[in-house]
Amino acid sequence: MWYFAWILGVLLACSFGIINAMWLDAEEEQRADD
Amino acid sequence: MFDYETLRLVWWLLVGVLLIGFAIADGMDLGTAMMIPVLGKTDTERRVIINTIGPHWDGNQVWLITAGGAIFAAWPLVYATAFSGFYWAMLLVLFALFFRPVGFEYRSKKDSVAWRRNWDYALAVGSFVPSLVFGVAFGNLFLGVPFYFDEFTRPIYTGSFWALLNPFAIVCGLASVVMLALQGATWLQMRAGGEVQGRAQTMATLLGPVLTVLLAVAGAWLYYGIPGYEISSTVVGDAPSNPLSKTVTTTDNWFGNYTDYPILWTLVAASVALPLLTSLMAKAGKSGFAFTLSSLAIAAIILMTGFTLFPFVMPSSTDLASALTLWDATSSELTLEIMFWVALFFVPIILGYTLWGYYKMWRRIEPEFIEQNSVSNY
Amino acid sequence: MISESVVELSRWQFAITAMYHFLFVPLTLGLSFLLAIMESVYVMTGKQIYRDMTKFWGKLFGINFALGVTTGLTMEFQFGTNWAYYSHYVGDVFGAPLAIEGLVAFFLESTMIGLFFFGWDRLSKVQHLAVTWLVALGSNFSALWILIANGWMQNPVGAYFNFETMRMEMDSFAEVLLNPVAQVKFVHTVSAGYVTGAIFVLAVSSYFMLRNRDIPFARRSFAIASAFGLASAISVIVLGDESGYEVGEVQKVKLAAIEAEWDTHPAPAAFTVVGLPNEETMTTDYALKIPGALGLIATRSLDEEVTGIKDLVAHAEDRIRNGIVAYGLLEKLRNGEDTPENRAAFSKVSVDLGYGLLLKRYTQAVVDATEEQIKLAARDTIPQVAPMFWTFRVMVGAGFTMLLLFVLAFYYTAKRKAYQTRWLQWFALLSLPLPWIASEMGWFVAEFGRQPWAIGEILPTYVATSHLTETDLWMSLAGFIGLYTLFLVIEIYLMVKYIRKGPSALQTGRYHFEQNTATQGA
Ligand code: HDD
Ligand code: HEM
Ligand code: HEM
Repeated sequence: MWYFAWILGVLLACSFGIINAMWLDAEEEQRADD
Repeated sequence: MFDYETLRLVWWLLVGVLLIGFAIADGMDLGTAMMIPVLGKTDTERRVIINTIGPHWDGNQVWLITAGGAIFAAWPLVYATAFSGFYWAMLLVLFALFFRPVGFEYRSKKDSVAWRRNWDYALAVGSFVPSLVFGVAFGNLFLGVPFYFDEFTRPIYTGSFWALLNPFAIVCGLASVVMLALQGATWLQMRAGGEVQGRAQTMATLLGPVLTVLLAVAGAWLYYGIPGYEISSTVVGDAPSNPLSKTVTTTDNWFGNYTDYPILWTLVAASVALPLLTSLMAKAGKSGFAFTLSSLAIAAIILMTGFTLFPFVMPSSTDLASALTLWDATSSELTLEIMFWVALFFVPIILGYTLWGYYKMWRRIEPEFIEQNSVSNY
Repeated sequence: MISESVVELSRWQFAITAMYHFLFVPLTLGLSFLLAIMESVYVMTGKQIYRDMTKFWGKLFGINFALGVTTGLTMEFQFGTNWAYYSHYVGDVFGAPLAIEGLVAFFLESTMIGLFFFGWDRLSKVQHLAVTWLVALGSNFSALWILIANGWMQNPVGAYFNFETMRMEMDSFAEVLLNPVAQVKFVHTVSAGYVTGAIFVLAVSSYFMLRNRDIPFARRSFAIASAFGLASAISVIVLGDESGYEVGEVQKVKLAAIEAEWDTHPAPAAFTVVGLPNEETMTTDYALKIPGALGLIATRSLDEEVTGIKDLVAHAEDRIRNGIVAYGLLEKLRNGEDTPENRAAFSKVSVDLGYGLLLKRYTQAVVDATEEQIKLAARDTIPQVAPMFWTFRVMVGAGFTMLLLFVLAFYYTAKRKAYQTRWLQWFALLSLPLPWIASEMGWFVAEFGRQPWAIGEILPTYVATSHLTETDLWMSLAGFIGLYTLFLVIEIYLMVKYIRKGPSALQTGRYHFEQNTATQGA
């Protein structure tokens, strides 16, 4: 069922994008605190 | 659940519902946009007009797209015959419609008087032309369309584009323009602020009587001057869709259904009276009522058109038997049934979020609001 | 009868308007999810910069979206205006997904897009976020339904021919929905859209970095695009491979043309990496081959054959002969000889009716076709090989190049070096056209490779057109090309204008062109 794979895949790809941005932000904040 | 015959009847109604939805919703912004140069004197005023429909025009336009899609799915022969037969009329509509999405979206993306003026005219023409052509096309249905089917059911159109522009059809086209302009004017009276509001009120007051007169002229012409059609063989409601298996004759006029069902005259009365009432309400400053009455007028006019033609959808003037009716131009039973359930499920959902959108965006668009939010508005 | 040039011109018109529509579609599909990602981060962290990002990329989205709608309208009209016989012949099946697309997808997408642009201060944060996600969902649903329709054209399942109505009728909606071709087409095509959105954001962010402007804004956009893009680029390749496999299952002719497989070789077949396909001699000159690879890709096995073009032509010839019989019986059935015997005989051969219709190009009276006409029609079943061979390789090449870009972009972002690495930024910027090239090539492979069929093995393109004149078509074609060129110029002008301004276009006072000092907002 490729339709089902799509639902999971999109959610995965989006979370990937969200996490990458939050990771970058978190590190910047830490650097600012240092 | 339903038999084939009932499904065919239900789909005739559903197509009617989609057309009414289109004329009420998209008609409102077609009507609004075609009056941009008339009602908006300054750039800010024109932006007021445009931004009343800014968040809604695209969703409204989908009524047209969906009506087209539904005709394809439920009446493939009508979709094939009408779109290819009215080739140039359709392309004219299409080319005109092109200017709306770009017009709305690009108009205020550059600070230049000439740029904005040009898009304003593009929006107005792009909204006027389809309104006119739709009316003209409906007018031609009453006159019969010159087409026939070959032995393998290939539709062949034998008329020309210019023949569509006959006097009766032009009256119908004008009625359609005025009907949508009235809808737009009542909308603007309700949602626009500043000078535009007053001008829209004047416009709405004027247009109602004009619409009534145009409808009366078209109606009288139809009654006295235009022959109708009638199926002369017995109708088998659940036969396979093959238009050539029936016979058709001409009649004195299109009012046979009215003789059989006098109740239909109420639709005629409503179509004539509602525009007048709309204008009265507009004049009294009751814009919400005016808009509602104008929407009801649209529904009455479209239903009247449908019931007058019933059971024809597209009569043929050259080969009477080729006429497309709601009994013999439909999809198979299975397709009609599936599409019925899909429509039944989704139309309420669509209405739900559409109304939520209108509710959330509800406010009077004042000129000051436009000037303060210049970047984020159209 | 239909003139050859009306058919040619109708095909050109459809191809031009469809490929033009697909310039805007993939960006809509991909960018809408990127907007949803950005706004989600905004709602979760409350950081203003992510709101600005959503708004700025949203502006570019809007410029693109307007033309997506404009050109989509053409697509909706065009089946009726230019492919009337097609619309009659398959409307019972094909019309349904198109109508559902309107009900399920366009309404959602178009209503929500209005709220996306105008609802920033009318909706709560969470409501607006939901609206953004619904825009993305709506646009992807539209891809779903249109690709179910298109998948059915490639592999017409769940339908049968009804001689009484002279058209295809649906007998299983579930089969139409779950059509394996539609499924892989959908996932491959939307992934292509995600790649397009990601490359767009990556390239434009790189431009800001190269200009040393709005670095915090650009870095965050770049980070999001590189992660989302990496996932998408992998998907598009995996699913492209799956598309190839599916083609090998149901459209053997297309596969043979893509791979320039003239002869059936003993399994497993070799894969031709490059070479010069030669229609005349039916060979591929200067072929560079990898032994066994095609067998693996196309059949997922070592012992199944990949049928070559020459054998496929012979096979088509048999089916055309059967089709002639079917056509003869159809004429009888429709001309008053509707007997049980004729019905039974017809139902045995009706699957090959479409092959009989292929002869219409050469003779009106299909039943009296000559041997030579049958040979010509059989040869027609093979699309031209060289264009298929090359366009496919360009798509695949673009796919691997973009994968490489995303791997590097992701790695350098993780190392926090992306914004100092000039060559990487240039690589991203110069890759901007690649996803569009790949998508257009992909559609060429899919659609040109379907020829001579409008509906695979059912309805030849040649008989599918409307009853129009050459003049009609020249004029409408001129209209489309003229208007579309005008719009494209305006669109690119506005895109460039807004990209140049960058987030300063939002006039928040926080970005490069609105700041006198070197301090930048974050
Ligand atoms: C893979 C995706 C895809 C494909 C193959 C097509 N479209 Fe499309 N279409 C979209 C994906 C899309 C979209 C992403 O949803 C668009 C593009 C930009 C937009 O506004 O929505 C859209 C817009 C769009 C619109 C305007 C909708 C509106 O007003 O919001 C129409 C009427 C169509 N399309 C119709 C078609 C038809 C009849 C096609 C087939 C021949 C077709 N599209 C191919
Ligand atoms: C939007 C992306 C699409 C692109 C770029 C595209 C491209 C093409 C091309 C290049 C052709 C010409 C083939 C030829 O004449 O040799 C074509 C034909 C055609 N395509 Fe597509 N196509 C697209 C989507 C679709 C979809 C989604 C459908 C159906 C829903 C479709 C239906 C057709 C039809 C009916 C024809 C004309 C008949 C024919 O030539 O077979 N196309 N398209
Ligand atoms: C290694 C990578 C790739 C492979 C193996 C691949 C394979 C394929 C195949 C076999 C088809 C034809 C399907 C058919 O005829 O039904 C196809 C179509 C297509 N490809 Fe690709 N592809 C790849 C990369 C890409 C990339 C990078 C893009 C765009 C960013 C893309 C966009 C498309 C599109 C839009 C279509 C037409 C829709 C369809 O038929 O699915 N492809 N691809």
